[in-house]
Order: sequence, then structure tokens, then C-alpha cells
Amino acid sequence: MSLKTWPLLLVILSLLLVANLMFGAVSISFEGILNGFQADSEHYFTVYEYRFPRTLLAMMVGAMMALAGALVQGVIRNPLASPDVLGVSHGAGLAAVTYMTLFPTSDIAWLPAMALLGGFSAAFILWWLCGNHSSAIKLAITGVALGALYASTVDFLMLVKPLEINNALLWLTGSLWGRGWNQFFILLPWLGLIPIALWLAKSLNLISLGDDSAISLGVNANTLRLTSLAVAVGLTASCVAICGPIGFLGLVAPHLTRKLVGGQHQILLPCTMLVGAILLLFADLVARTIDPPIELSAGIMTAIIGAPYFLWLLFKNK
Amino acid sequence: MDAIQGLLSPSKDVIAQHIVHDIRLPRALLAATVGACFAAAGVVMQGLTQNPLASPAVLGVNAGAALGMAAVSTITPWFGLLGISMAAMIGGGVAWTLVMILGSAWRGGSDTGRLVLAGVAISALCAAFTKALVIMEEDQASAVLSWLAGSFANGNWDTWSLFWPVALFALIGSQLLTPTLNLLQLGDDNAQNLGISLVWTKLAGSVLVLILVGSAIGASGSISFVGLLVPHMARILCGQDHRYFLPLSMLMGSALVVLADTLSRGIIFPLETPAGAILALIGAPFFIYLVKKRAS
Repeated sequence: MSLKTWPLLLVILSLLLVANLMFGAVSISFEGILNGFQADSEHYFTVYEYRFPRTLLAMMVGAMMALAGALVQGVIRNPLASPDVLGVSHGAGLAAVTYMTLFPTSDIAWLPAMALLGGFSAAFILWWLCGNHSSAIKLAITGVALGALYASTVDFLMLVKPLEINNALLWLTGSLWGRGWNQFFILLPWLGLIPIALWLAKSLNLISLGDDSAISLGVNANTLRLTSLAVAVGLTASCVAICGPIGFLGLVAPHLTRKLVGGQHQILLPCTMLVGAILLLFADLVARTIDPPIELSAGIMTAIIGAPYFLWLLFKNK
Repeated sequence: MDAIQGLLSPSKDVIAQHIVHDIRLPRALLAATVGACFAAAGVVMQGLTQNPLASPAVLGVNAGAALGMAAVSTITPWFGLLGISMAAMIGGGVAWTLVMILGSAWRGGSDTGRLVLAGVAISALCAAFTKALVIMEEDQASAVLSWLAGSFANGNWDTWSLFWPVALFALIGSQLLTPTLNLLQLGDDNAQNLGISLVWTKLAGSVLVLILVGSAIGASGSISFVGLLVPHMARILCGQDHRYFLPLSMLMGSALVVLADTLSRGIIFPLETPAGAILALIGAPFFIYLVKKRAS
């Protein structure tokens, strides 16, 4: 199964990548794109300075958010869990927005660090409210409630200190509008978390047998849980700092991937990154091309895809 | 002194009296009635579903109504306030029906958490569509944002005169429903044995909730958390009997929303913060407290 799935996913991903470069407010032919990477081409600005970094960012963010979701679902063994359902993304977003409104002149490079702080605080508050052993649904409700609290605080800050509209949309729903090489280089170091996550894959397989079995097979369950959650929070927070809390991506991508390749984490984790990248590229493409030059935010598209899926999961999970 | 004079016999010459009579009075009346509507809707929903977390905002009715309104006001703007209220009711109705089916809440004693999560997901979906519509149709995002958060800044006598008959009708209707709600607390089976038709009760309750929420949202935008917060405060004050705590809820809802509206004007004078945003800041921690209490 996985032997066939890999090339298929890669083909879809590269098709979407080309489509993302070609379409938008202005359509550019395929040759135009290839020429666009040379500095003397008329499309140089559109392709190289505008669409290419944005596409790369969409792939990275999609992959990282999906990976974070897979880690959280693997560790908590809760099909409804993901960083955005548990309120971590909105916590990170709140920290970032607070930082920007309180210190408007500050350096944007510090945003990921602030978001990370917010993400960890959100995770800690959730753990403090729910304790170690709580049911799937209770964890999800508390997470959603906390997320609503953070989101309404962000709303409040936005209304008190009106930003420009695209910034507001960015922080309310998540958007890739106007993201470029700057943000790309800010996000780049955080890719270092991906190998750590992949390295955890084997232990994640064991922990899915249950804590007792995992411990007798030589896995330190608590350390593993903390490391995975910390990595997941790091991945989520860095993405949120760049493009806001894009909802439902971390929830949907791992589920879809599990349908495609099964539950073995060595395969699941890399595949879920591909699926996440595909989903976000697709969402961003639709968001940009549905009614150009007006742009929807990618977070709206992921919610339209993701919320029905969440409902279906809820319905099935009886 | 000018304020009292403005209330009783407004004279044309004094500016302060104009302000009171033409701007502040209708606004305060609107806020009070909207608060009462949301609180009553919360009481009825909590009674019907026997779920302490139920409220128009949590179960997706607000978001559905907002979607209906956004659809009508962006696609067919000539409908006016009445059409917008109708659209809000239809949108809220569709959203609530979906939540009820997905959360399997028509049967008594179903899992309360599932219902809430279904509501949250439907809310997210409706909110996404609403934002998409808003962005596609117009660029005045900050005005729409404050409308989505719920604000009384545009309240005037016109809105009030369309709004109050509907609201009064629905508020009286929900008061008439209270004895039945009391019996429902005994559980679906017992209520049926006592001669209550479950289907009709739930249908009537749902329609009332939709009228309450739809008209209130049409008048002010989506105000969240009043419906969740107020019934619990009222229950603490005067016990479980719906006949008494429904009117108390209405009063407290009015007071809370008027307070929030006053705060919303004062917090960063001369700018206005939507009252709904302030209420959300108060309400969300309370929601978390309820979730925690329910579990322990």
C-alpha cells in the first residue's frame, strides 16, 4: 500500500506546487514560470519574490502542522486531539498578537519565541485543568473552550487596536497573505524539529500498545509523552507565528494519512507531512483563485474542509 | 437632570436631551431586550437538552444565524431588517437541527460532551463561510468584525420598533413553556408519563429559541455567552424552578448586557469596543469553570 501511496502523494504535491506558481490574480504559463526564476524575466517578481516563497511556506507549514497533529494523536491516543482543537494554536496566536500590540515597534524575528511561550502556557493550562487521565471528549471540550477564550481575547485586542484588515484576518483565521522570504527564513531553523519527531516514531508505535506494554518493552512512557508534546507545541507555535492559527489541518491530515498508509508511525509521520503540505497548498490555491484579486484566507478553506470531517469523526466515535 | 428631562419630555433645543432621547435611550432599551432574549434562549435550551453547557452560542445557533444574516445582507441587501431577522432564524434553525442530529440529543440522557463538540464544529464551519462571504463581498472588514462580535452602536428607534413586538411575543411564549420545562427535568420518560408530548414540547421550545436568537441577532449582532452565563447565575440565586428563574434570568441578562454596553463605550473613549467582545472575555472563563465542575 505505502509503496504505491508515496509516488502518488509526491506527484500530487508537485502538480499543486506548479499550479500554485501558475495561477493567481495573473495566470502565468509554464514556460513563464521556468523563466521567472531568472532575474531578467518579466515574471521574476511575481514568481520568485511572491509566489515561490509563499508556496514553499505553505508546504512547510502544512507539513509541520500535520506532523504536530500526528504526534499529539499518537501520544494522547485520542482521535479528537490536535494542537488546534486543544487550544495550543490559539494560545500561541494570542501570545503573538499581544506581543505585537504591546510592542508595535519590536522585531518580528522574536515572534516565534513569543508564540512558543504562548503555546507552552496553553498546553500547561490545559493539563492543569484536565489532569493526566481524562476522557477524549472532556479533553477536547476543555481545549475548545480555552481556544475560544484565547480567540476572543485576540478579537478584543484587534478591536481595541485595529490593525489593517489582512493582518486581522491573519490572526483570526490563519492566512498566507503577503508572506515571503523573510518569514521563510524565520521558519527555517524550526525545521530542525522534524528529525526529532521522526526519531520518536518507533517509540510511538510501542506506546500505542498501551502504557504498560510500552514500559515493559523498554520505553519510558512519561519522557516520551513530554518530548513528543513539546516537539508538537514547538512545531505548531512556530507555524502560528508565521501564518496564524490555521484550523483543523493538524486534525484532518493525520486521519487521512492513517486511512492511506495505516498506523505505523515510521511511515505515518513522513506521509502525514506530505498530506498536510498537499492540503494547505490546495487550500491556499483555492483561497487565492476563487475570486481574484480578493483573497480568502487559507484558514477559512481548511475550516470548510476540516469541520465536516471533525463532525464525522465525532459521529463515528461512539 | 437633562437626562431625566430628555426621557420625560424631550425639548428640541437642548443637545443633551437629544442625545439621551435619540441615541442613548433606544440603545439602552435594545441592549436590555437583547440581553433578556439571549438569557431566555439559554434557559430554554438548557431545559430542553438537560445539558448545563447548552446555550445559543455554544450549540452553533449564533454562528448559523450570523451566516444566514451575512448571506442575505451580502447577496440580497434589499431585504431590510425583517428579512435579515428571518434569515438569521432560518440559518440558526438549520445549524441547530444539524447539531441536534449529529450530537444525537433528541433522545434524553445522551452524552452532553458530544453535543457541545458538534456545536463547536458547526460554529467553526458557519464562521468560516461567514468570513468568506464577508471578504468576497466587501472590504469593510472592521465594521463587519464588530458586527460579528455584537455591538449596539447602531441601535435606534427604527430597529427598536421592529424588534420589540417579536421579542415580547417570544419572551412571553418562553414563560408559558416553563411548567413543561420543570417536568422535563424529571427525565424524558417521567415527563411523558405525566402527559407531556416530548415532540411538541421540543419543537415549540426550539422555535421559541430560534425566534429569540434570530430577532436579537438581527438587532445587535451575535452576543455570545449571555445565554450560557446568566441561567447559571439565576439558578444559584433562586433554585431550580423554571417559573421563577426564567424571569430572573431575563432581568439579569438585561442588566449584564446593558453593563457590557456601558463598559464598551467607556473602555477606550471615544472609540467603541463591541459589547459582545467584552461579554466573551467574561463568559469564556466561566465556560471553562463549568466544564471542569461537570467532570469532577
